[in-house]
Amino acid sequence: MRRSLRALAAVTAGAIAAAGVAALVRRRIGGLRFQRGMAAAQLAVRGGLRYAGSAPRLFAAAGEQRQRLRTDLAMQTADDIAATLGTMKGVMVKLGQMASYVDEGLAPSVRRTLSRLQDSVPPMSPELAAGVIAEELGAPPERLFARWDPEPIAAASIGQVHRAITPDGLAVAVKVQYPGIAEMMAADLDNVSLLRRMLRVTAPSQDVEGLVAELRERVLEELDYRREAANQQRLHRYFAGHPTISVPAVVPELSTRRVVTSELVTGARFADVLGWDARQRDLAGETLYRFVFRSLYEVHAFNGDPHPGNYLFHGDGKVTFLDFGMVKHFTDTDLLPLMDMARTLCVDDDPGRFRASLEEAGFLVPGAPLSDAQVVDHLAVFYQLIREPAAVTVTGEYASAVVRRFFDVRSPVAQYARIPRSYVILQRINLGLFALLGEMKATANWRAVAEEIWPFMEVPPSTPMGVAEQPWLAARPSLDAISA
Amino acid sequence: MSEHADAAGLIERSAAAFAGGVPEAPADDGFFGPASVAWRISGDLSAPVAGLRALLLQALHPLAMAGVDQHSDWRADPVGRLAATSGYLAITTFGERARAERAAARVRRIHERVRGVDGVTGQEYCASDPALLLWVHAALVESNVVARNLFGTPLTDEDADRYIEEMVVAAQLVGVPAELVPDSVAALDRYLASVRPRLRCTPAARESTAYVLDPPGLDEEVAEIWQDIREAVLGSLPSWAADSYGYQVPELTAGRRAEIRQALGVLDAVFLGEPGVLEARQRITLRMRQTASHA
Repeated sequence: MRRSLRALAAVTAGAIAAAGVAALVRRRIGGLRFQRGMAAAQLAVRGGLRYAGSAPRLFAAAGEQRQRLRTDLAMQTADDIAATLGTMKGVMVKLGQMASYVDEGLAPSVRRTLSRLQDSVPPMSPELAAGVIAEELGAPPERLFARWDPEPIAAASIGQVHRAITPDGLAVAVKVQYPGIAEMMAADLDNVSLLRRMLRVTAPSQDVEGLVAELRERVLEELDYRREAANQQRLHRYFAGHPTISVPAVVPELSTRRVVTSELVTGARFADVLGWDARQRDLAGETLYRFVFRSLYEVHAFNGDPHPGNYLFHGDGKVTFLDFGMVKHFTDTDLLPLMDMARTLCVDDDPGRFRASLEEAGFLVPGAPLSDAQVVDHLAVFYQLIREPAAVTVTGEYASAVVRRFFDVRSPVAQYARIPRSYVILQRINLGLFALLGEMKATANWRAVAEEIWPFMEVPPSTPMGVAEQPWLAARPSLDAISA
Repeated sequence: MSEHADAAGLIERSAAAFAGGVPEAPADDGFFGPASVAWRISGDLSAPVAGLRALLLQALHPLAMAGVDQHSDWRADPVGRLAATSGYLAITTFGERARAERAAARVRRIHERVRGVDGVTGQEYCASDPALLLWVHAALVESNVVARNLFGTPLTDEDADRYIEEMVVAAQLVGVPAELVPDSVAALDRYLASVRPRLRCTPAARESTAYVLDPPGLDEEVAEIWQDIREAVLGSLPSWAADSYGYQVPELTAGRRAEIRQALGVLDAVFLGEPGVLEARQRITLRMRQTASHA
């Protein structure tokens, strides 16, 4: 059981959050313990998707959201914010969101506590939200914008989203952070002795300091919207002109630490896409895949929050990507081992070198008493989509199998497997992207698409979308240019 | 400790008692009303500390303790006993007058039967004795003020006076004549000092308070949080009371208080996760807002 917890806690950012949350609110339900729930591989990935259905994070489709917002209970003062989200509650809400991908692995009582905590956060009153705008941007929203909708259209994790039209006539989404929330959460995260003690209770064999540090870093990053705006702007610039990938532009002069303003985009939601025909779902899936791996290998950035609510779909593979609060940046040194692993296993089919690259990157304890075949057998599931150049349909079963393997502690390899801290958030590819593709039942020759993107391969486009990308590829800006 | 039932279900049953005590469509505002300090401070994070601190003080009155010791079923059903008190407090604070009066009448009837001779002092007691009821009342009211000031949202001097005055009616409900009940911080302090010579730590007090400070059978994590609450309770006691029990009182540094507040915040989130608690709190908030907007 302890080992399962170690696997859990070390493996993903989501799971880290889950461990933190569970440590805080874990309860005994009929003898079923949290760890056992995890280890029992009851982690249906649809957990994350089901959660998304209730998570009010869309930027468009205002009508349905308004019904959910309890304006009669609106937070009217900074004291209301403190009562609702202060003293660990904001931290727990955030952890709950991070843990959403391992939703099914949480004990029912933990899930209930987290979802109730989210329910307990009403919107800010129009006056309170306008006050944040005035403080941050120097003037009340009615003066800054040609039109300002005082009713929020959606809740964000630590703020809410308003629609507005700029004086230039641009329709924008304005994310407004709850006043004082950053300071409160930072103070709570500065004082982590409670979290540390409870993690020790939950996971005595775990690297508690590492967990707490990772958690703290990720959450603190999200509190500064300037970072989010910069991430979004970089990706917007990089993908400008791309035939199917679109990232809304940030309006820098209307963005600060607690306000981020970007183009308002409307589109179909993930749940709608599931009802589309196979060709449309396949195209949307191909775009998600291209976006994730082009961001990773080319921009050295990965959005650690591949939440279905963060995508808007426009048909024919066109997708708008939203919310860049949790972007992890990688160095060449971080990325090389990942490429080595893909190449040695999928291209060279060389188990010995595959194992060596795992060890070098810190994914596998060197010299473990395992055969190369055992190592490949344990990890191959993660590469199943790209080992052979053939059309593969991602299924929910595949996505579940990936997650099960994550938390598989019975495999002889499990006790020697590690996830180095800098790759923790990357595991969201496995818990997030594959879950989405599986839900969409998307079919593609993923290997061929991957080869287009792998920096160590130079292959011509393999699909119509790949062909359509060519002009963008030829003209896309350098990393230096998008950072400017 | 084997003669005591464990405390499993403490959070669940206290939460249900609270939620059930807050009416959905009340005919009147009850004995306090949405504009009262009592309502405003009701959801404070420090409430568990206040409640336990009150129990520790109350138990130091040998006759009050003897009544509990000889008549209550707390050893067999400690959680039920605590939940019943939570429910009573919710009903008398938020419930309609008629319901609050019914609940109080029931308590008064039970108190009539709680009589006997205290084995420690040899004195006769009856739970309906206004002197005992007043002590129990005063210990709770003072604990609410002290716990809030240390671990929650502190009361202004003015609000503390107003709160103590508001609470006079709670003492009347259980049968204490209003003229006996302290109605200000100063009067409450004088009263508490006047009772002190009669207080002592009996074996029954030691046994029952040891239980609530470290209840067996809590979930591991709640038990972890309870260690912080225990420290908060002991640290908030007057030193004579802690001495009387023989407890070592840890120093409450600013850092420790911040940690204790975090633990109380997590406990509150757990409480909020119980069915009906969020809705009950929302009902209270809405009524307070409606009153404020009509004022």
